[in-house]
Amino acid sequence: MASEMQNSNPTILNTADLPTRLRPSVSSKSSTYGSEFFASTLPSLTEGSLDPISDYSQTPSESESDGELMEEPIDEQEIYDLISTINDPEHPISLGALAVVSLPDISIKPALPDVPESPLQTVTVLITPTITHCSLATVIGLGVRVRLEQSLPPRFRVDVQIKEGTHSTADEVNKQLADKERVAAALENGTLMGVIAKMLETCQ
Amino acid sequence: MSALQTFMLVVDHDKQEARQIAERIAQDVESKKTNLVEVVQSLGEYINDEDPLLRGKAVSYLTAVIKALPPKFLTRQQVQVLTTFFCDRIEDSGAVAGVETLQKLDRFTKDMAEEVAKALFQNFTTLQSRAQSQRFQVYQLLNELMSSHRAVLHDMGDTSLVGTVDIMTGEKDPRNLMLVFSILKVIMVEWNISNHVELLFDSVYNYFPITFRPPPNDPYGITAQDLKDRLQDCISASSLFAPHSIPALLDKLDSTSQNVKKDALNALIACINSYSPDTVSTYSITVWETIKFEILNAQEEFLSELSLQALHDIAKRLSEGVNQVSDQLPLAQYLRPITKECNEQLREPQQKQAKPAQEILKATSKASAPSFSLIVQVVVAPLLTLYQGADGITKQRALLETLTQLFESAIMVFGEWTSRTPAPFAENPLLEFKDQFSEIFGQALMGTVKEEVSFRISALKGFLRLSTLRDYFHDSEIGLFVQYLNEILLKEETVGRDDLKREAITALAEISKHHPRLIMDITFPAFVATLPDSDDGSDTGYMKTLEILAQISIEKAIFDTLVRRLLNKLSLLLQTEQAGSAAYPRAILLTIYYVMSQRKLEGDPGLEMYYDKIVVAMTRSAAITASGKAKNNILADSTVLDILSRLCNNIVRSLPRSTQDEVAKNIYTLFTSPDEFQPVPFSQSASEDHHRTMILSTYLLAGLPADVTLPHNMSELLPDMVARSVTKTEPAPQLAILRHIALLVNKFLPKTELSTATGLLDSLLPRTTAESRTSAETIKTIFWLSKSLILRLAPTTTKILTSLLSVLSCPDETTSTTAARGFAILLKDDDVLSPTNGANIRLLSKQRVFTTLTPLISANIREINTTHSSNNDAVSKQHIKPAHLTALSGILSTISPTLVMPELPTLLPLLLQSLDLQSEDSQAVRAATLQTLSVIIRESGVTVIEECGHVQSLVTRLLKTAEYSKKQVGVVNGPRLRVAALRCLFLLAQTPTGAGDAPAVAKAGKLSPLLPVRNQVLRSLKFVLDDPKRDVRKAAVDARGAWLRGVDEAPEEED
Repeated sequence: MASEMQNSNPTILNTADLPTRLRPSVSSKSSTYGSEFFASTLPSLTEGSLDPISDYSQTPSESESDGELMEEPIDEQEIYDLISTINDPEHPISLGALAVVSLPDISIKPALPDVPESPLQTVTVLITPTITHCSLATVIGLGVRVRLEQSLPPRFRVDVQIKEGTHSTADEVNKQLADKERVAAALENGTLMGVIAKMLETCQ
Repeated sequence: MSALQTFMLVVDHDKQEARQIAERIAQDVESKKTNLVEVVQSLGEYINDEDPLLRGKAVSYLTAVIKALPPKFLTRQQVQVLTTFFCDRIEDSGAVAGVETLQKLDRFTKDMAEEVAKALFQNFTTLQSRAQSQRFQVYQLLNELMSSHRAVLHDMGDTSLVGTVDIMTGEKDPRNLMLVFSILKVIMVEWNISNHVELLFDSVYNYFPITFRPPPNDPYGITAQDLKDRLQDCISASSLFAPHSIPALLDKLDSTSQNVKKDALNALIACINSYSPDTVSTYSITVWETIKFEILNAQEEFLSELSLQALHDIAKRLSEGVNQVSDQLPLAQYLRPITKECNEQLREPQQKQAKPAQEILKATSKASAPSFSLIVQVVVAPLLTLYQGADGITKQRALLETLTQLFESAIMVFGEWTSRTPAPFAENPLLEFKDQFSEIFGQALMGTVKEEVSFRISALKGFLRLSTLRDYFHDSEIGLFVQYLNEILLKEETVGRDDLKREAITALAEISKHHPRLIMDITFPAFVATLPDSDDGSDTGYMKTLEILAQISIEKAIFDTLVRRLLNKLSLLLQTEQAGSAAYPRAILLTIYYVMSQRKLEGDPGLEMYYDKIVVAMTRSAAITASGKAKNNILADSTVLDILSRLCNNIVRSLPRSTQDEVAKNIYTLFTSPDEFQPVPFSQSASEDHHRTMILSTYLLAGLPADVTLPHNMSELLPDMVARSVTKTEPAPQLAILRHIALLVNKFLPKTELSTATGLLDSLLPRTTAESRTSAETIKTIFWLSKSLILRLAPTTTKILTSLLSVLSCPDETTSTTAARGFAILLKDDDVLSPTNGANIRLLSKQRVFTTLTPLISANIREINTTHSSNNDAVSKQHIKPAHLTALSGILSTISPTLVMPELPTLLPLLLQSLDLQSEDSQAVRAATLQTLSVIIRESGVTVIEECGHVQSLVTRLLKTAEYSKKQVGVVNGPRLRVAALRCLFLLAQTPTGAGDAPAVAKAGKLSPLLPVRNQVLRSLKFVLDDPKRDVRKAAVDARGAWLRGVDEAPEEED
């Protein structure tokens, strides 16, 4: 890790303002009493099946089986959730809060547009370093790459790049991040892996 | 041989014997058979021996004799002679102990004390070459002198000071250091140390930082913290140390060790709090200049917190005795560079450094009223200017948050409206900005686009702080805020996750504590006005309103009004012919139930009214509704009855005894006359509507004390109720009747009449030989009856459990499976049969059930596994094994995991077999199993599984359960089950919570037991990452991450 901080005072976004997935509030449980609030504060009302014998057949499976049919494909928000909690190597602050990664800079496209039935997909993540001469951009890029390769199924190709115009040596960094062999070599480096492991520790 | 010679022979190996010899001689001395002079003379030939060992033993002999003498025996002269004798030979072992005995005597004088002290200081300059126990004796003696003859030592002045330092220099043993530090502290505090400041300081500071770590099975119980505390007391003992201590401690902040920095900061804080304010003032700015880096570039949160604490404590010390704020104060000089630095950092308040600056301001400003004033004077105006010129909402928001931090400090200094502490005399410097704040925060809250939720929340929080700050806002200003909140809650559309509304409700609830009047006058009418007279089912907006009303009705006055208003609404509803859906009256009852359950009802002056209006009147209405004589059917709805019953139950529990007796008479008549309503028990023609009133009867019964007189004879009532429960009725009244039976048997049935209940149970149990089917209703009755008996640990408990288990082997599949599910009833916590309702639940009942059933189930399953595989009738008995596993999961889901641990070796194979049930309807069983497994793994980690030798089989099964397969018909592994399995895998790779630091040491030499399956897990999880469900993928990512991180690969082998 660099001994001297490259950017000691970056701007920080509030965690509450970062993009999140809005889940439809689950109201099935409280439906009997029509109120989530009362149901949650008076636990006895939602104790679940009071009568294990009669309720048994419908406990988990019935409500789920129709939901099971509905697929939830991997989308940009999910990719964002995977990488926004990575910590910056310089600050104990997440890449999301530093706006190093942002939702509009993530895209998922079919890897082979000519073969529509192919399940292969490419995830592209553009990184915005906090300052244009940040020497840690490569490390951040590697961290994002490692996290995605660990967390995505094999049919996904990962492409991590520096966003155009945000870094003085963007081409060089991009070249390094795109070069499979150089990435593999970097990951053999114990110190570097240590830094990356520390960055990934905060991923929840 | 003389006594002395015998003593010297045995003293090394038999202390007991040696003591007895000394005691005998002491008795001789006492009875004048011999005298002390003779005893001393008898030492003659050994006392000048060249061998120090011999000399020591001889002196010890004398000491032992003196010790055995009664305390008043020796004359002053004798004490004097002996003291001189011991002092002369102080270096011989035994002498120190001798003096220690003497100095406890009343006849030990000051002069003698001085003689002893001198002897110690002169002769023990090479103390450190002696054994620990001898050094300990010397320190102990010094410590004793310090406590009983301190004046003597004090008068010796420098001699005792230097002497003590000389003696202890070089000491390393923690036990001795504990004594040394406490002796030195006395000298530092009470002696005139001005000539030897550096000597004294160095004598203790040499030990900083303490790096001592107690041995594994420490017999002395001294921790590093004990030593640190005593050392810290010494360092902070005298202001004169400041020129040495403060620079030295600040230097230590350059250390690379977090622990050293922590100790240095703690010591610094101790110094700040005990040195004189003048001294603190001298170093205040130096301290700030150094430790600000710990806050601005915080490495660890705890270091930053300690540093903030130090800054706060300095401000607090410098505020002592300050009445008038002025620029010339040391406090002002200290704060000047701080506010300057913070103001600079806050110029870009959205950036990273602003947060530590906010924290610094908060920590220093909350220290005292003068400190708060000085900071507000220079900080607030620039912040307001910045706010006016701010170009973005992010920046504005950061500024609002900075101000809110100051408001919180203000609350610490000036209190809230409800604070009982007296208000400080100083005027709140924020008053000057009152109108500006009101405008800025009001504008930010109400004049911003609705999408900027987090900005508006920041404004709301700031406004709330100002509203609770004592003597700040006028009622009308808080009223304005309350109106804003009303508007947000009543008029605004929901945006995003509704965080703003949630905060608004919290704010109203908070204000209702400080200003109940404002809530009553402004919020209450506005909300009640939106409640409809009746509900046709189209608009359920009233639910939100009722939720909010329930949450803000914390204060007694608001609570009373709310309950009255809602009861009026309810009685109107009950009078209308077209009452609409039951949801609305139910919601009203639910609201009353909620607010009442938040309060203590005993002794409430409104209790009588609640009894009349709710228990008597509503129960009566329900009974009349059941007879078909009411205007509408609201009170025939079982969910409405359920809430009403819970409400009545709460009230009945709090009633005075005489009223409870009245309730007891009306359990079944429900406060009606015979021509209005026919009670259920013994009625031949009770309709479904009638049976539904049993919900009320059951909750009323539950709320009564166990010794009330019930209206019916138990031996007649119980069979009648059982007969009703086994004939099919709708679920809610049937459950009520089952609970009714359970209550009667568990709480009201005297021990002598238990046979009534066991007799009924026996008559219901199916004969094992019979092939016939037992109805689900009968099985339920069986289990509820059993539950009520088992919880009170009736003498027949084991027999009952065995008969229940035998039902599982019934050849009829439906009977067996239904009974298996019934096991979950036995120990499940119940709202009616609960400790709150005075149910008779013995502490050991759960353990008893578990330890009785587990071995039986295990044995049965083993038998099934071995015999049935070869048997012809295997097909017809296939259901029996799953039934046993279901029963087990039912028990497991209702007991605490700590009970499970001792039975783990028996249990684990059963749990693994449950996971093998790969069918759709086994999901509940497997879910319960995974739940139990996850608790086991979280508490004790993989080691317990490894000890049973099941790591591989467990992991394989978990992976199989996590699998999603499109090909299968129906769902074998539902998403929730898959998540649960992945969660277990995740926990396996984590360090267990219950383990603490211990495994880290154990782990060092040992490979993780998960290593052999690591690759299998990582490979399989790679495919789970493609699960169609997001939650499953998330769990898979976490599990995979944990295995990648937590399970280390084998260390590289050297070739």
